[in-house]
Amino acid sequence: MQTGFTVPLPEKRIASNGVFGMIFVLATEAMFFAGLISAYMVNRANVMMWPPAGQPRLPVEATALNTIVLLASAYTLYRFRQKYMADGSVQGKSTSMLITSIALGVIFLAVQGSEWLRLISFGLTTHSSIYGAFFYTLIGLHGVHVLAGILILLYLWYTIKGLKSHEDAGNRIAVCSMYWYFVVAVWPVLYYLVYLS
Amino acid sequence: MEISATHPQSFWSKYVFSTDHKVIGAQYTLMGCIMAGVGGYLAYVFRYNLAFPNAYIPLFGSLSAQQYNSFVTIHGMIMVFWVGMPVLLSGLGNFLIPLMIGTDDMAFPTLNMLSFWIFLFSAIVLLSSFFVPGGAFGGGWTMYPPLSAGGYLNHNPEFFKALFSGTSMLILAVALELVSMLMGGINFLVTTINKRAKGMTIMRIPIVVWFIDIAAVIFMFSVGPLVAGAFMLLFDNVLGTGFFDPARGGDPMLWEHLFWFFGHPEVYVLLLPSLGVLGEVFPVFSRKPLFGYKPIIYLALISAFLSVLVWAHHQFVAGIDPRMATFFSIGTILISIPFAGMFLSFMATMWNGTIRLTVPMLWAVGFVGLFLIGGLTGLYLGSNTFDIYAHDTYFVIAHFHYTLFPDIFFGFFAAVYFWFPKFTGRSLNKTLGKLHFWLTFLFFNGTFFLLFFNGLAGQHRRINDYSYFSLVMKEPYITFEKICTISAIALILSQFIFIYNVVVSFAKAKQGVKNPWESATLEWLAESPPPHGNFKEYPVVYRGPYEYSLPGASQDYLPQNIQEEPVTNTKN
Repeated sequence: MQTGFTVPLPEKRIASNGVFGMIFVLATEAMFFAGLISAYMVNRANVMMWPPAGQPRLPVEATALNTIVLLASAYTLYRFRQKYMADGSVQGKSTSMLITSIALGVIFLAVQGSEWLRLISFGLTTHSSIYGAFFYTLIGLHGVHVLAGILILLYLWYTIKGLKSHEDAGNRIAVCSMYWYFVVAVWPVLYYLVYLS
Repeated sequence: MEISATHPQSFWSKYVFSTDHKVIGAQYTLMGCIMAGVGGYLAYVFRYNLAFPNAYIPLFGSLSAQQYNSFVTIHGMIMVFWVGMPVLLSGLGNFLIPLMIGTDDMAFPTLNMLSFWIFLFSAIVLLSSFFVPGGAFGGGWTMYPPLSAGGYLNHNPEFFKALFSGTSMLILAVALELVSMLMGGINFLVTTINKRAKGMTIMRIPIVVWFIDIAAVIFMFSVGPLVAGAFMLLFDNVLGTGFFDPARGGDPMLWEHLFWFFGHPEVYVLLLPSLGVLGEVFPVFSRKPLFGYKPIIYLALISAFLSVLVWAHHQFVAGIDPRMATFFSIGTILISIPFAGMFLSFMATMWNGTIRLTVPMLWAVGFVGLFLIGGLTGLYLGSNTFDIYAHDTYFVIAHFHYTLFPDIFFGFFAAVYFWFPKFTGRSLNKTLGKLHFWLTFLFFNGTFFLLFFNGLAGQHRRINDYSYFSLVMKEPYITFEKICTISAIALILSQFIFIYNVVVSFAKAKQGVKNPWESATLEWLAESPPPHGNFKEYPVVYRGPYEYSLPGASQDYLPQNIQEEPVTNTKN
């Protein structure tokens, strides 16, 4: 309802509310992962043998492929934004790249889940050793973030058709994909620290 | 600009499920006051037990050792996370930020509403932990393992049984509360960045808004590691992970680092909004511009930076490397410099001013006086040599309460007496306000000053019945304990004057005085109480927030929105 505000708020902004909000969310998330990773490094430095004796080896190769899947999902999301914003019209634009990203995210989670089931059957559980505890905590909390990212992308896919203006759509794509890029960017770090080193 | 405010609203959408920043601020403040009542009641019970061991406690009964531990723990938790945070950060932030920067509401009103409901849920989780088998957690508010890690005893715990234990519920409640505050903090920052009125450049933002935003930044920077640690501690309890169990390669010190990495910046998160209130109150009642507006902001930024470099001063006796202890000692003593600078600025603001000793001014001056004692004893404790002696004694308790009690309660009451006419359109009785101040001031000192001596005599804070330790519990310390307890009861009773004052003011008719203190910031332009949407039209800002006693101006003060020459006496 218009109430006759004579002077509008400043139009010129560096970025939209959503983008700024997401920057702060991601800064906090980055500190969250920094806390987890530093805890992991500290505990690991305390232990003589890593991984401890009698604990199964992690699936390095399968997860390498899975890493590529996740990185590819970021690329398809990037392509989606480019194509969507290049087309000036509002109606009938393709979201196939977005759906590809979501599908790749789901594949990533499914592969992780099946790997977990195998590891559990080999005797790596949260209470079998500190090694297992850190593995499931770090990878699991990242997995929760991937799940949240998938939900955010589904929300984007579901709502983007309803947005009338080109600018609003671009803004929503930017905010949602920032979160996905973050989730993807954290993964190689975790992969290197947990699986490779 | 769309505002949704002008249509009539039902009671539920207006006062309960509201997205209006003022209603949410009121909800937070009210909830904080209720929780302060709970925290005060717990304090009354264990203080009574300390002075009169094993006596029957009126309004409670007799207190077991386990209950004593739970009450001390939950008292600390409540006062920091469920009183200080909602009242100072969320309450003040919600009330003040949109009004002071001249806008209609927060950047994300729905997120704002959600943040309150998560906060309410966290409080319910916390309080219901008293009623689970085993009672509320009693291992100290810092939740150090091994006391907080049930998984030590049981490597494969029953998930749900472990989840509904006092420990797990406390961890969950804290994590939820932090999420709620995080949502609020994001809102504050985005609102301040993107929704300022025309002409409100960043060096014209009132100091309280600056400080709340800096507090939100400190909070966001430090909260992540604590949430990570909370997950790990929760998993230790419910999944048997053993992150903090040395027998399985874990490290109990790790929790202390993760906790204090947040826990120490947290006290500055609580302190800065309160100092911001002082920054508003002193210029108005001294009729002078704030002394050193820009330097104060820079000092706050420096203190924000230093605040994340001092956390290990809580761990001097926990076995950290002495070289590291020296580093943290130096950092701790350094951080007193920016705060000393701020307090000196506040005093310089009063210097040669036309001081109006109103009720909010009394609370503000009282804050400065009491905080001085807390700050100076903090210098001693910051040095690791002295801290090793004083650690965990009543000296630390007294120091902590001399900083956080003025911070949370004096800061809060200064703000309430100052902005009450604005947000309710009613006024509080001055005589009762002054009585409230003097009784609180007197009994606060009565409660905590003597504890410094008990602490130096070697009394340790975790012992519920000192009658077994006649070497440290002798005269005059027994009398000191009793004086403390009686003062604490009187301190709690004094707060009923305030409740009475508020209730009476609501029974009277609305006066709707717009600007009772002749203050220059933007919130005083709106109606009292401000309607949903705040301003009839967005104000335009022409000058900084503290233009009092301007030479050559037509009146004693120049509101920020009035265009008049001389436009400003500071180069902004």
